[in-house]
Amino acid sequence: MEERIKLSRIYIIATLIMIVVGIAALVMAFMGDPQRGWANILLNNVYFVSLAAGALLFASIQRVTHSGWSAGFIRVPEAMAGFLPVAALLFLVMIFGAQSLYHWSHTHEVANDPLLTHKAPYLNLPFWVVRMVVYFALWILMFVIIRRLSLKEDAVGGLDIFKKLEHRSKVFIFIVIITFTFAMIDWIMSIDAHWYSTIFAIRNFVAAFHHAAIVITFIVLLMNQKGHFPFLNKSHLGDFSRYIFMLCIIWGYFWFTEFMLIWYANIPEETTYFIPRIRGEGWRFFFFANIAINWFLPFVLLMPKATARNKTVLKIVIPILIVGQFIDLYIQIFPGIVGDQVLGFQEIGTFVGYAGLFMLVTGWVLSRAGLYPTKHPYLDECKNHHS
Amino acid sequence: MDSAYLLGVFDKEETMLSAFRKMKEQEIEIEDVFTPYPVHEILENHGRKSRITIVGWLYGFFATIGVLAFLFYTAVIDWPLNYGGKPSNAFPSFLVITIILVIFSITILSLFTFSWRANLWPSNKKPIYHPGATDDKFVIMVNKEKADAARASSVMKETGAIEVIEK
Repeated sequence: MEERIKLSRIYIIATLIMIVVGIAALVMAFMGDPQRGWANILLNNVYFVSLAAGALLFASIQRVTHSGWSAGFIRVPEAMAGFLPVAALLFLVMIFGAQSLYHWSHTHEVANDPLLTHKAPYLNLPFWVVRMVVYFALWILMFVIIRRLSLKEDAVGGLDIFKKLEHRSKVFIFIVIITFTFAMIDWIMSIDAHWYSTIFAIRNFVAAFHHAAIVITFIVLLMNQKGHFPFLNKSHLGDFSRYIFMLCIIWGYFWFTEFMLIWYANIPEETTYFIPRIRGEGWRFFFFANIAINWFLPFVLLMPKATARNKTVLKIVIPILIVGQFIDLYIQIFPGIVGDQVLGFQEIGTFVGYAGLFMLVTGWVLSRAGLYPTKHPYLDECKNHHS
Repeated sequence: MDSAYLLGVFDKEETMLSAFRKMKEQEIEIEDVFTPYPVHEILENHGRKSRITIVGWLYGFFATIGVLAFLFYTAVIDWPLNYGGKPSNAFPSFLVITIILVIFSITILSLFTFSWRANLWPSNKKPIYHPGATDDKFVIMVNKEKADAARASSVMKETGAIEVIEK
């Protein structure tokens, strides 16, 4: 079963148009308010790096657990992880906007602020850049190693590479949990530099994994519609939804833990984060829409066996969840940087542009190798999967 | 003892499943199937659907109402206390207790329901039809009164039962 996909001309043109829309939206945002432009860049950078890193984590977990059901789809998360080098470039651009995004990057403000002075050994611009470079160096390195081995498996086969891949996947899981935690602290939590929450990073880490699983399922479903993955059956769909269902519970659990403890303890240093988000004009809706979309919707819709294994239901739920992740990051990033609730062509257009870039890169990486890991030891198990 | 059951013992899932399918085809009624692990095809096609999930859902539904009512009664009606200016009916803080108690109620009540339906309680000894059924063997049980034992026996032998006994 050798099959290679070829990107159609319409696909490439559509993604290019999306990218042009994104650039236009960004230009518009920068002409109005540079801070809004940088906030948009930060939001989408984090969004799509979450998908890429989350997808590689997904693939790694499949390898470590010797999962048979997902073996045939393993190229999809790998292709999504191919966005990591592009994301690295986009993040390096953010160095120029750090002054607009993070008020701890203004040295004179830090000097007048005892709390920020205390945090300065960690939160300072050079160290922030160094950390960013280290995260991406590690992620891209692990991506290249895993991808190379995975393609080599196609040519050589055998258990030797399979075992090697399992080991590299363990290393990647270990690396990504630590680096992603710090990355979320650096990129998002430090926007509100006076506030901190110990569960913040793990909540975002789970959100990344959650939405990577969603996008993987979406890509598989759309490609199946075009005739790829002919072996996709109800059991695969059930397992994909189980992943989404399980991660939505973990995410909702962390969200509630963070919120409930801060709400109950009522300490002014901690509640400052939630007050503008719950009481602020315009933010209130997004705050509750966040938990409603990302937790309640998949929890209710993907629990019954009938809906969890239904392609139509999944095709409706997944786009809503893709917007859900946007809302999750929007409510975390925008109140701290822009202040007022703004949502217009600038935000939506930038997201569309990034989505186009992501689609182009993922599609290109996917077309560079055979669609199925033909010599994966569990491929037959995947094709005959039944649960 | 008069033998009431015919037991077909298989050592492989595949052979047991082919016997199972053939017996379904020939409409030989199967009393029960003992397997060392859940076999999906048996669960789906055996013709008996477990209703324990519905019962579990109902227990959860009523337990949620019960626990929330209990918390409301203690914290709001009977003995309101002022914790740091929070309203007495502090719903988010009730949720954790509700989740824990609902899980506890569902688990315990489902266990009791299952034990009651399966006649499992202390001092009630259930017969073990074949020692292999508690080990690694697959056993298909046919009630001789409800099905044609001779045909069942031939089907089981045909498909590769390692032994067919009457008990």
